[in-house]
Order: sequence, then C-alpha cells, then structure tokens
Amino acid sequence: MGIDVKSFIRNSFNKLAQPVNAAPFVSFRIVFGFLMAFSALRFVLLGWIEDHYTEPLFHFHYYGFDWIHAVSASWLYMIHILMILASIGIMTGYLFRVSSILLFLCFTYTELIDLTYYLNHYYFVSLICFWLMFIPTVDKHQKIPAWSIFIIKFQLTLVYLYAGLAKINYDWLIEALPLKIWLPAHDDLFLIGPLLTLPATAYVFSWFGMLYDCSIAFLLMYKPTRPFAYITVIVFHALTGFLFQIGVFPLVMIGATIIFFSDTWHENILKRIKALPLIKEVFVFSSSRDVKTKSIFSFALFKTFFVAYLLFQILFPWRYLLYPGNLFWTEEGYRFSWRVMLMEKAGDATFYVKDSKTGREGIVDNREFLNAHQEKQMSFQPDMILQFAHFLGEHYQRKGVNQPEVRAEVYVTLNARPSKLLIDPNKNLMLEKDTWKHKSWILAD
Amino acid sequence: MNLTEIKSSLLRITSILLVLFVAACEKNEPGIDDSSFDRKAMLEFYADEMIVPAYSQTLSQIEDLQSKAQAFTALPDSLSLINIQQSWKSAIISWQEACAFNFGPAGEDGLRKSLPEEIATFPVSTSKVEDFVGSGNFNLNDFNRDARGFFAIEYLIFDETRSISELVQRFSEENRKSYLNALVENLKTRLMQVRDSWTSSYRSEFVNNAGTDAGSSTSMLYNEFVKSYEGAKNFKLGLPLGLRPGQTSVDATLCEALYSGYSFNIIKKHFEVMENIWRGGENELGFRAYLKQVTGGDALIATTESQINLIHNALDAISDQTPMKDEILINAAPYISLHTELQKNTKNFKSDLSSLIGIAITYSSGDGD
Repeated sequence: MGIDVKSFIRNSFNKLAQPVNAAPFVSFRIVFGFLMAFSALRFVLLGWIEDHYTEPLFHFHYYGFDWIHAVSASWLYMIHILMILASIGIMTGYLFRVSSILLFLCFTYTELIDLTYYLNHYYFVSLICFWLMFIPTVDKHQKIPAWSIFIIKFQLTLVYLYAGLAKINYDWLIEALPLKIWLPAHDDLFLIGPLLTLPATAYVFSWFGMLYDCSIAFLLMYKPTRPFAYITVIVFHALTGFLFQIGVFPLVMIGATIIFFSDTWHENILKRIKALPLIKEVFVFSSSRDVKTKSIFSFALFKTFFVAYLLFQILFPWRYLLYPGNLFWTEEGYRFSWRVMLMEKAGDATFYVKDSKTGREGIVDNREFLNAHQEKQMSFQPDMILQFAHFLGEHYQRKGVNQPEVRAEVYVTLNARPSKLLIDPNKNLMLEKDTWKHKSWILAD
Repeated sequence: MNLTEIKSSLLRITSILLVLFVAACEKNEPGIDDSSFDRKAMLEFYADEMIVPAYSQTLSQIEDLQSKAQAFTALPDSLSLINIQQSWKSAIISWQEACAFNFGPAGEDGLRKSLPEEIATFPVSTSKVEDFVGSGNFNLNDFNRDARGFFAIEYLIFDETRSISELVQRFSEENRKSYLNALVENLKTRLMQVRDSWTSSYRSEFVNNAGTDAGSSTSMLYNEFVKSYEGAKNFKLGLPLGLRPGQTSVDATLCEALYSGYSFNIIKKHFEVMENIWRGGENELGFRAYLKQVTGGDALIATTESQINLIHNALDAISDQTPMKDEILINAAPYISLHTELQKNTKNFKSDLSSLIGIAITYSSGDGD
C-alpha cells in the first residue's frame, strides 16, 4: 500500500493541532451566539415552554434518557433566560467558557425532555454547543488550533452531504414525492405560487435539492465556487424557510456556513464589526494572554475521543442498514442521521386497553393525554407508539384495570400512498421492550 | 476529478434535469389546471353555503324556541309545553349543522370556551340547575356550563318520569320560569354574537386566510372538523357505551339529550353534517373536491366513501323508536357497531386527509433542511 496509515494519522494530528487564524471561528461564534439567543427568546415568546413542556401530561423520552424530566414552568423560564444569557456570552466572547458549558447543558436538557420535538437542527446545535465547551480561547496572536474550525466544518459538511445522500431514493427523484404534495399547498406564495402547482416544479426542486445538499459543502470549500455557492445557500434556505414551517433552521444554516469563507474575508468582516460603536467595549475578541492553544489536543485521551467522534458521526447514520425493511416505513435508525424533510408521513393510532381478568377492552382517547403535536408524531413512529402503550398500561393499572394488555391499530400513510397497518394490531405491547434490536411487530411496508 | 471531468459530469446532470423537466411538462401539459386547487373558492363555499347559513338557521330556531318559551311561561299548559318541546328538538337538530366550526368567533378565547362547550355541555348537573331554580340566584357567565345551554333547557322541559300535567305544574314556580327564559336568552345571545361576527367582519378574514400553514382557515376548519367528528364518536357514543378503558359497563346517564330521548336523532344528524362538510354540499365543493386535485386523492375518496356507506348501514340498523339510554341497556350491539364503523373512518377524515392535502395541523411541526 502506498499510504502509510501511521504517518497519515500523525500528520493529521499535527495539522489539527497547528495554530491557525481564529477569524473564521470568531465570526462564526458571534453569529451562532446571536442566533441561539434569538431562537431561545422566540421559543419563550411563542409560549412553547407551556405548550411543549409543562402542559402535556406525558412526555416521550429519548432512548436511554428516561431519567430526564420536565421541571416546573418557572424553572424552565429560568433555564431559558440562562440560555439567552449564555448565548450572548458566546456572541460577545464574555465568560466564553462558562457560557458554552451553560448553553450546552441548558439546550441539551430542554431538547431531551420530549422526543416529539426532535429536529435534526436541534441535534446539530447540541453538537456544536458540545464542541464550543472544548474549543480553546483565542490567544493574543488571534490564533486558535486548527481542529476547532475543522470540527465545525466537518459537522456542517456531514449534515449537508448525508441530507443529500438520503434524497437519492425512488420516491424523491422519480416520483418527486413528497414535494409533489408539499409544493402545491403553497400556491398562494408571492410570485412563484402558481409555479408550485406544476408537477415539473416538484421534479426540479427534488433534483436541485438533492444535488445542492450533496455538493454545497464542497462548493463552499473550493474558493472559485464559494461566492456562487453561498448565494445558493441563501436562496435555498430562504425558499425552504418561506415554504415550510421549519423555524430558525434556515437562519442557522445561512449563519453557520460563513465559516467556510477565507481568513481574510473574516478579518475584513471583523474589522467592520469592531468599527461599530460600543463593540470594543462589550465584545472580547481574544485573550490578552498567550494561551497554550495546543494543550487540550495534546492529551491522548482527547485525541482518541476526537477520532471516535468523527467515526461515530460518519458511521451512526448508516446503522439503518442493519435493520430489515424499508427505513422510511419502520424508522429504525432514522433519527440522528440528517434525514430532513424527506417524506410525508401521517398516521392514526387507536389504542385498546384490555383488562386481562375481565376481558373487557376499552378504547383510548389519545387527546386525553397528548397534545396535537405529540399525537401527530407518535402516530407513525413505532418507538413512540410503544412508549405511549406502556404509559397507558401503567396509567390504567393504577385506575384499577387488572394487568392491562395494550394493543394499537395504527394506520399510516407514507408519501400519499393509501394508509396501511404499521404494526401488528394484536400484539400486546406491554410485553415488548424498546431496544436496539429490530421490532418484529412492525409490519412490512 | 479534474476540471474537464467536473465539467462533463455537470453537463450530464444538467441534461438529465432538462430531460426530466421536459418529460414532466409533456406528461402533464393537458392537465395543468388539474393540479391547482382554488382554496379561496372552497373557503367561500364553506363560509357562504355552510357556516353562515348554519348559524343563521340555528339562530332562527332559537328565536322560535324563545317565543315558545315565552308563551309557555306566560301560560303553562300541556299544549304550550309540547310546542316548546317540539321547538327544542328542531333547534338541537339545527345546531348540529353549526357545531363543527369552532374557530374565530366560535373558538376558545381567554375565559370563553368553544361554542359547543358554552352552549351544549352534557351531562347536565341537575342539582346545580335545581339550586339555581330554588335560589333564583345565578350567573350565566361563570364556570357552571353544565347548568346552562341546550341540555339544561332540555332538562327543564322534558322529564319522562313525570306526566305532562305534572311537568306543567312544576312551572307554577316563578323561578323556574325565569331560569328557563334566561337560559334561552343566553343561548340566543351566544349564537347571535357568533353569527354577527361572521356576517360583519370575520367572513372576509376567513376567506382571505387561504394558505395551508398552521392557523390558516383550511387548517382551522380541518382541525375543528376532525375534533367534532371524534367528539361525536368518543363522547356521544363511546362514553355512554362504556367503551373507555376503566369503564366496566354501559353508563346510560352519560347520553347526550338524556331527557328528551332524542340522542340517536342527534348523533345521526351530527354524522350527516360531518359527511356533508367532507363532501362540501350537493355540488361537492369541500374537502372531497380538494382531494380530487391532489396525489393519491382518488384512492382516498374511494376508501372514504365505502366506509361512509358502512356507517350509513350501521345508522340504519338502529331504530329511533326506543331512546338510546334505554336501548343500550338492552342491546348495545348496534350502537357499538356504529362506533366501530365511525372509528374505522377516523383515519380517512384525519391523518390521510391532512397528509394528502399537505396542511399543517400544528404550529412548530415539521423538520427542515
């Protein structure tokens, strides 16, 4: 073999430890902090603390995180205020380390409260916040170790590339689904509205979306294509932002991708920012000390973790290959894999609770326990169906039903196909456990 | 990859795209109009042909009820009692036409609950009603929604345990007369507020909010339609039939319209209204027409219509000769099978419909790239 693996690794580590111009990181940090503050404030003002966390009687937990619970509304407000303050800390660079730890903990905690609200971009934000905790302070020479910028670019590249690869499937490319469903619903959009009802538009959007996601990170890395690519980023995300209810995600991506620009570009931008009034008084751009930027990366443990993280990020999204059946139908291995806006799926789940002593079976009104959002998400995702079944079983046991058996009749429609049973309607779900293993009670697509 | 390779692959991709574009255009050229649906026209239809007429119709039935109540309380006798009972039956049937549009003026707003909760709560708390009658002290804006509205009125004017003359006799009590008149007046006021709001400003707000996002008229209409459908199934049938987990038997006291024996007529009418909303009247200008324009819509229409037929069969198998509260104690099976058929149709009206039309049901739903 021509490649000497050992020296490749050693060279890579050396490169990653090298101090580089910190300007791209500094402007990234400013934009990211700003957007996080905005996003947390928006969340509070929309009343989502109540809607998402305190009003529902039941929360769907993430696998392995059933020990996370929603605290009271006043604590949640405190946490969001802390989040906003921490975001401002990230933006200004003031108390950066404390801010980054606070932001990671607060943000990740709130995300883990209820699986219903899982969004890929929240996962992305959590990962970025995680790394901000370790990224060293910019030293007095305006330097930062190369890995700090590398890890952010790596994550962004992976988000786009995997989102693009996921679009290479029959429905997306050949049937232009789900865009054929989604686009006509927006025929009232200014100027382009009428175009959206044409099937051809759905094809163009589908193919462009796939090519865009697969290539954009690379076009941003390559200097000659970068300005054009960034314009595409703005247009693409602005368009999807107008079309779909995706919150701050377009802004986060438009903001985050600036990290791909060159050192000089960022230095120019920062120069302009510094020229603004008050900025110099409030913002901390670098430490006055000569920070040993190499320190954390010189630990073998950290290096091992770093490599493990990269491998995990690259491999984990492919875990679906280990499960039988159609991923879009079973959703086994669907999350945490950058599959975004990929399918139109909806279900109707009816739960039956049977008293195993008397044999009497009752029908559950889901809305007695779940809000509309929770019910919608639960109705087509097997692991959530299982969680809700267990909740119902325990709830009705307390209400005096003897050893409840819980089964569910779940009809799911995927990309406008007639709805079909998702799981075995006769399976007593109380006897099933959520594991990494394939759920044999999911019916074939 | 060198530059020429990149260029050639770009060229290849562009030509694939071009071919696809042309192919897609050609295939759909004759039917371009088919793919667009005039949502505003649909909303205008719902507003002008269904919602506003339903409120107006119900209001005039309530005005009739009021005149009958005034006649009855002025001179309580068996004839005037039968008149007000008949009028109540017409009004409650008319109300079914109007009970599913609970957004905007009929929606929740602060302390105000949705219109059906405000005027059609059941079961009625007879003890509260008797307390209010006894004391003559009552406030129709408090939380005692189970002591007013259609079914509190029903309780006052129907009572099968008493003969007609006994019932007339009870209305020698002045407080009972004034409570009855106050309840009817309150009903009229609530309906009038909603109707007037629709005829003055809300109609244009409704038809012009023609998007599909959460909070759009189509989304609100759909949400309330589903809620009303599921409410009929769960509360008008499921609860009295004892079909909830934890219930161990039929509970006839949970029937809607317990005193008039009119429960089944109301349920039947409620479903017919649901079907009519889905179809969009005789000319089928509603959700059904919308479905005809979207991918997968024809298949869903076929599934829905065959299930609707099964529901009609189940409805036809129930006789309205015996009141529901008595019938379900003897033979609940026909009612249970009606519930089952309605249950089977839920997905057609709910998840399948919204998924195909592409309307956002809730705020903050959706994931994005």
